[in-house]
Amino acid sequence: MSVANKNIVYGLYDAPEQLLSAVKEANADHLDIWDVFSPFPVHGLDPLLGLSESRLHIGGFIFGLTGTLTAFLGITWIFTRDWPQIFGGKPYFSIPAWIPIIFELTVLFSAIGMVLTFFIVNGQGPGVNNPILDTRITDDKFCLAFDATDEDGGKYRAFLEKTGASVVNEKSI
Amino acid sequence: MNQFTFKRGLRTTLLIMIAIGLVSMVMTFMGDDPMHTRFWSNILHNSVFFTGIGLLAFFMWSVHITAWSAWNVVFKRLWEAYALFLIPGLILMLIIAAGIWGGWHNLYHWADAESVANDKILQGKSSFLNKSWYTYGTIIVMGLWIFVLLKLRGLSKKEDTAGDMSFKIHHKSRIWAAASLPLIGFGSAVVIWQWVMSVDAHWYSTLFAWYNAASMLVAMLAVTIMMSYYLKSRGYLGLVNTEHLHDLGKYLFAFSIFWAYLWFSQYMLIWYANIGEETIYFKHRLDNYPVLFYGNVIINFALPFLILIRNDSKRKLGIMVFISIVVFLGHWLDFFLMLKPGILHTMHELAAMSGAHIAGHGGFTAGFSLPGFLEFGTMIGFLGFFLYFSFSMLTRAGLVPKNDPYLPESVHHHVE
Repeated sequence: MSVANKNIVYGLYDAPEQLLSAVKEANADHLDIWDVFSPFPVHGLDPLLGLSESRLHIGGFIFGLTGTLTAFLGITWIFTRDWPQIFGGKPYFSIPAWIPIIFELTVLFSAIGMVLTFFIVNGQGPGVNNPILDTRITDDKFCLAFDATDEDGGKYRAFLEKTGASVVNEKSI
Repeated sequence: MNQFTFKRGLRTTLLIMIAIGLVSMVMTFMGDDPMHTRFWSNILHNSVFFTGIGLLAFFMWSVHITAWSAWNVVFKRLWEAYALFLIPGLILMLIIAAGIWGGWHNLYHWADAESVANDKILQGKSSFLNKSWYTYGTIIVMGLWIFVLLKLRGLSKKEDTAGDMSFKIHHKSRIWAAASLPLIGFGSAVVIWQWVMSVDAHWYSTLFAWYNAASMLVAMLAVTIMMSYYLKSRGYLGLVNTEHLHDLGKYLFAFSIFWAYLWFSQYMLIWYANIGEETIYFKHRLDNYPVLFYGNVIINFALPFLILIRNDSKRKLGIMVFISIVVFLGHWLDFFLMLKPGILHTMHELAAMSGAHIAGHGGFTAGFSLPGFLEFGTMIGFLGFFLYFSFSMLTRAGLVPKNDPYLPESVHHHVE
């Protein structure tokens, strides 16, 4: 996806506690946070950033239900209408024998469905360019980033330095 | 409030519950067949169920110590209190065992000498299914559990008074906790075969012990949730919050599914293999107990699955208490369905052998086909006894283990 160039001011913190307190201060100063990056999930960060709960699991439930119905209706049609066969003297319509398959397709549909939904909603996929602000945000640094495309980044730099960021940088992505 | 005080009002309520149980038991005894099968089967049913809750509380407590788990520490005294119910549980099981020796009841087909003499299958099993091994097996297995349990409980109480948060005592309790796991794992299978599975003396299932333990585990988690709700409403357990409730809810959800998995595995394999002596167990229950048989799966699997699948429902106390009551009764019914059909069958067999006529043969039998008021009354009595014992044990130690090295982590437990 091509996105108009953005000018990002970001700072790297050494510890998750520093990041948390910096986010709190940014909220108090009414600074508009563009994004936050961390190498692992930081407890208590989501409510500070005002992120609502992901709705991905609702999609997962619906995909799972689709899988359940696909398997159940599919096997029912195959073994009672299309090609009835007798296995071990059991009736054509034998739900207990089908439950493992129904379970498998439920899991398969919900897993694949959720992964695809995740990629589509986030605009991810093969060939998509993902600019990265700093390679160390996947290693040991905690990044707080502001969008300074239409304004002067000076106040953001000052804020990041004030709150103890070890690296403050500006990058056009 | 760290120290639990067993108030008079609560004592009275629980004593009334016990009185209801005693009245129900006397009424069952009066209106029973000559061998008092309904009376004795109710005692066996409730003794196994509540002893199982105690056992699984002990198991979960040991598992959490062994796994370096911290989140449960704020309410671990509840599990300790339940676990100590193994001691009255041993007495209850010994009453059943004494009944076998004294010929007070006909709960077990294999205990009848004349039946065994005319039955090849029972003869083949008689080296395990006999009254000596029933008694001594129960004493040995439960004795070992109680021995380790008392060691662990002693260390847990010593930690409160010893005065610091170091791992010194905790490391000792890790050894005992680890030692208890194989004892519970193998021992529970042995006693469950004897207590529960042998009421259908001709039948066996290799999954049965796990399936039973899963049932007891879900019931134990339900009791834990209800108890923490009660204690919180009385101002105790202030450190237990939504985060702990959420994790208990995950357990309830996960182990309900685990129970359903084992239930279905047992059912499907027997259904598929279609071997007469195995299938008869389910044939009997499907033909004569359809309400309980299907109701069991709906109450213990479908309801908790659909209600607890959402994240927020596990964080709402009202929903959690509601589903806890449902699955607690559900697993009580599960044990009813495991025990009663086999006992009723034994009663008919023995009656046919002695030529006596027993009313209701083949049709609806009160107290066996469906639980009646007397069964629920007996259950309320046992529940009252279980809770009375647990509350008394809670008074013996502080509700918060103040020197457990994992307490700070447990207090700051965070799920979402």
